[in-house]
Order: sequence, then C-alpha cells, then structure tokens
Amino acid sequence: MSGQPASGGQPAASRISAADVAALQAVLGAEQAACYGYGVVGSHLSGAAAAAATTDWIAHQQARDNLAAIITSAGATPVPAAVAYQLPVTVQTAAQARSLAVILEDDIAMVYMRLVAVSNTGLRALGSSGVTAAALRAAAWRGSTVAFPGLPAGSLRG
Amino acid sequence: MAVGPTRRAVLAASAAAVPLLLSACRGVQALGTPPPPAPDIRRLRSAIAAEQLLVDRYRAAAGHAVSAGAGQSAAAVLSGLLAEHEQHLAQLRSRLVEPGGQPVQGSPAPGSSAAVLAGLGGQLTSPAGFAAAIAALAADEQSAASRLSAQLLTAPASLAQLMASISASEATHVPVLDALRRTL
Repeated sequence: MSGQPASGGQPAASRISAADVAALQAVLGAEQAACYGYGVVGSHLSGAAAAAATTDWIAHQQARDNLAAIITSAGATPVPAAVAYQLPVTVQTAAQARSLAVILEDDIAMVYMRLVAVSNTGLRALGSSGVTAAALRAAAWRGSTVAFPGLPAGSLRG
Repeated sequence: MAVGPTRRAVLAASAAAVPLLLSACRGVQALGTPPPPAPDIRRLRSAIAAEQLLVDRYRAAAGHAVSAGAGQSAAAVLSGLLAEHEQHLAQLRSRLVEPGGQPVQGSPAPGSSAAVLAGLGGQLTSPAGFAAAIAALAADEQSAASRLSAQLLTAPASLAQLMASISASEATHVPVLDALRRTL
C-alpha cells in the first residue's frame, strides 16, 4: 500500500529515511527558533499587530509539535530547543519587530524547502505546505509579495 | 530467355515481406511516430502553459484597470503581480530543455485575447465586470497553486523546489487580489 497521507499528516514511519529525519530535524530547529523569535516580536507590538503575532506564534508551536511527533514516530529523538537564540536583528521598536517576523518567515520558508527535496511524498507535501504558510505570513508582515519564496536568489537561472 | 523470377514477382515478394519486417521491428514504427514526451517534460510543459495563461490574464486585467475606473493604484497592484508571474514563467521555461539541448527561448504565442477575456468574465470595461475579473484571477491563482503543489510531489527535487516556491508565491497573491477587490 502506498497510502500517502494528506499534507500535514504523519507519513508512515517505515518510509522515513535517515536523510528524511535530518531534514525534519533542521525544520524542527527552525520552528523552535521561530517560536522564540515570535515571543520577542509580539512583545513589541500592540493591537491587531500583536494579535497577528500571537496567531503566527501559535502556528509555529503547532508545526513544531507536529514535527517532533513525526520524528519520534520515525524512531528518532527530536532535537531539543535552545534556551535562548541569537536574534538576527536588534528589536526595540514595532517596525523592528515586523522586520524580525519577516526574517523569521523567510528563513522558515528556506528550511522547509529541504523537505520538498526528499523522496518521501508525504514529507514533500508537508514541506510544500510549510513553504506556503511561511510565504503567506511573510507577505502579511512585509506588506508585499515576492516571486520566489524559500529560494535563495543564487538558485535561480539566468 | 533464362528461366527465373521476373522483376514484377521480386517486387511483389518484397512488398509481402514488409509487414513481417514491421511487426518484427518496432523501431521502424518509432521512426514514424515520435515517442510521447517523458513525464518530467509533460509536467513542465503543463506548468509553463498554466503560467502563460496567468500572464495573459494579468496583462488583460492590468490593461483595463484605468478604463474600468479602478484607478492607477489597481493597475500598479496588478502590474506588480504580473511581474512576479513573468519571473515564474522565465524560470520554468529555463528548465525545459528540448531535444536540441538548449533551453527554450522566446515566448510562445499568447492565448487568444477572446479566450483570455472569457476566462476573466469578458466584461473588463465596466466596474462590476472588472471586480468579477479580479475575483476570477484570485480563483485562478488558488487553483494554479494547488495544481503545482500536487505536481511537485513526483518531480525531480530541483524542479519540485521551484514549483513549491511558485505555488507559495501564487498563494500569496490571493489575499492581495481579495484586498484589491474590496476597494473596487
């Protein structure tokens, strides 16, 4: 039976390779960092922006927990979260908080691209939906869209 | 005269042998009918055609924004999204290497303007028709994103990543179009 799960479901553990687990761990690490980062983002915002930050923070927590469950079901141990993370920018204002949210989401989209490249189609679907979710959140924080979410400029041709 | 096969008889015998040769050697038939393109090529051509259609529809909508009374700001929003689709199309086309070994150059013939307009509701010049066209574009974006996210599951890894990125970009266009429609 090929029985691949729908996007967001848990792929059968027997089909998850060591390389798949490595990609999953990388995404889990990025989601843990995003959870930490959104705590900082939200603390510098108010009103609707703070509510949006909370919504996104919860989305990252759910993604983190889902990834940890998949890794566990594959027989591996999820990487532990760090106590604190070095943020890529200093955040003291609401504008800087928005910038951090954009950076966090751009990074998350790139890390989910690793899952899009694995051969397990259930994990590919998870990766693809992760890229899309991050792109939607990034566009909302940025206030504009980009042509190639999750891809570094150097990977494009021409 | 020497007794032997006449020229006519030899030709007849040769003709009779041809079907046997054909059935014994499928390569002869393959020379007459090109083999179907590989799944990767079909998938890429399908993605290119879908992207070309979006480009055509955005051009039509952007070109009518001002005459439909939607204003320069609506035209600017549509032109921005169009530019991203043109980049998608260029990247997809750069991945399509035809038998000559070179990436495909140039643009294919765009869809007929009648078909493009029909896809947008056909009434771009009235404010209500323009709003309906924007709603149709949002639906186009959503279905294009969904189609790519299904196609990428069995694509080579590098193409899958490009498709995932384009799918995500198209998904981000939907709320932009929804917001634009609310201003009309």
